[in-house]
Amino acid sequence: MSYSTFNRKHFDSMKEPMFFGENVNVARYDQQKHPIFEKLIEKQLSFFWRPEEVDLSTDRKDFQRLEEHEQHIFLSNLKYQTLLDSVQGRSPNVALLPIVSLPELETWIETWSFSETIHSRSYTHIIRNIVNDPTKIFDDIVNNEEITKRADSVSKYYDRLIEMVNLYNTMGLGTFHVPGKGDVEISMHELKKALYLTVASVNVLEAIRFYVSFACSFAFAERTLMEGNAKIIKLIARDEALHLTGTQHMLNLMASGKDDPEMATIAAECKDEMRQIFIEAAEQEKEWASYLFKDGSMIGLNAQILGQYVEYISNVRMQAVGLDTHFETKHNPIPWINAWLVSDNVQVAPQEAEISSYLVGQIDNDLDESDFDDFDL
Amino acid sequence: MTSISKVAHFQPEQGEQTAPTQDKDQVHRVLLGKKQILVTEDEPLLIQLERAGIHVEYQCREGYCSSCSIKLLWGQVSYPFEPLAWVQSGYLLACCAIVKSDIEIAFFE
Ligand code: FES
Ligand SMILES: [Fe+2]
Ligand SMILES: [Fe+2]
Repeated sequence: MSYSTFNRKHFDSMKEPMFFGENVNVARYDQQKHPIFEKLIEKQLSFFWRPEEVDLSTDRKDFQRLEEHEQHIFLSNLKYQTLLDSVQGRSPNVALLPIVSLPELETWIETWSFSETIHSRSYTHIIRNIVNDPTKIFDDIVNNEEITKRADSVSKYYDRLIEMVNLYNTMGLGTFHVPGKGDVEISMHELKKALYLTVASVNVLEAIRFYVSFACSFAFAERTLMEGNAKIIKLIARDEALHLTGTQHMLNLMASGKDDPEMATIAAECKDEMRQIFIEAAEQEKEWASYLFKDGSMIGLNAQILGQYVEYISNVRMQAVGLDTHFETKHNPIPWINAWLVSDNVQVAPQEAEISSYLVGQIDNDLDESDFDDFDL
Repeated sequence: MTSISKVAHFQPEQGEQTAPTQDKDQVHRVLLGKKQILVTEDEPLLIQLERAGIHVEYQCREGYCSSCSIKLLWGQVSYPFEPLAWVQSGYLLACCAIVKSDIEIAFFE
């Protein structure tokens, strides 16, 4: 029940589930239940970068020459990204570390969250370089209604899970009266459900919500404006691609039941709600696109095109976690974005080169078709 | 090996028999809707589809983002290294998949 920073029990960590088993004791990586998380750690470490290495001196001049409505687009996106990375720089740690049970997954969570703090530091680097008074911009993040609306949706699943785990760690299982909230039921089933939905909402945050800002940053760069910023966004996008793969693996492992059989039942139970999380987020991002362009569009991008891109990318992400696609847009309306999203240094890491002949047949994968595609409630 | 001798046998005028071809030069058909694209085993599917003028979604091009995930209706592909991204059952990752037989693929329907 209550969390221990060094669990003294003897147990085989290879037999633990990802979450809600024993608290991790020895941080060992010589054996791994899910080697994918160790690989993600290695990849993330190989991506290490520092914002200060990117020169932003021409961005300052570019920014001053932008039209007012373009400055609004640029700064609003920066504020929104600052919010998202503020949440991501702490929440995987606060919410997931108290309940994680595998050393490689624990370290992946820490590595993942640490990389988000680099993103946050890069926003300060950008803002400092383009305006004289960064305070005004940072202060607006907690005042601006359009941003705070979003803060609510991105943090509510995390906050609920954290509250439930706090109760569990102090009181154990049962129904407890929480002032201002009424009775809260703490059962393993409810805890796992809260966890599954949290991971889904984090996947949405990193795999969909960020991409609206990415599109705007690269649309400026297509006009050779704010290119230092675009360089930073490229580095952030590379990290985010890894993060979203991390949450996709967690969701798919949970749904497969191979990690924890009860999680498969919960994933099936939550399927509709998870779908709703994706759809709602996409609608919110389309709304955000309208807010960005309320005073005017930018060359190559307007609220409608950006909205279609949100729909398209949401379809891609839904498919990746075994959900049926939802939106009409089946083609990328801004295909040029991919040339910006790709990292220039496509290099094969040595540990990958050593793995040879990994053969996968058409349906001969980790999962059976029936494990995944036919969750109907 | 058999396919080489066949080529040489049926089209001797093209001089194919002089090139000691290996499996690498094996050509496979990729069916996509009404289109048919010929691909080799030399390169991943993505780059060969792009050369044929077909837009495929991508981001990392090295197997860790899952953006290039495409439905594999039938046929065989292999991966020279294990991709970091989750490969859904019945899908392939175009950026790193090597086509190993005739295949049929599909985008969102
Ligand atoms: S483009 Fe990233 S996995 Fe293929
Ligand atoms: Fe981030
Ligand atoms: Fe992230």
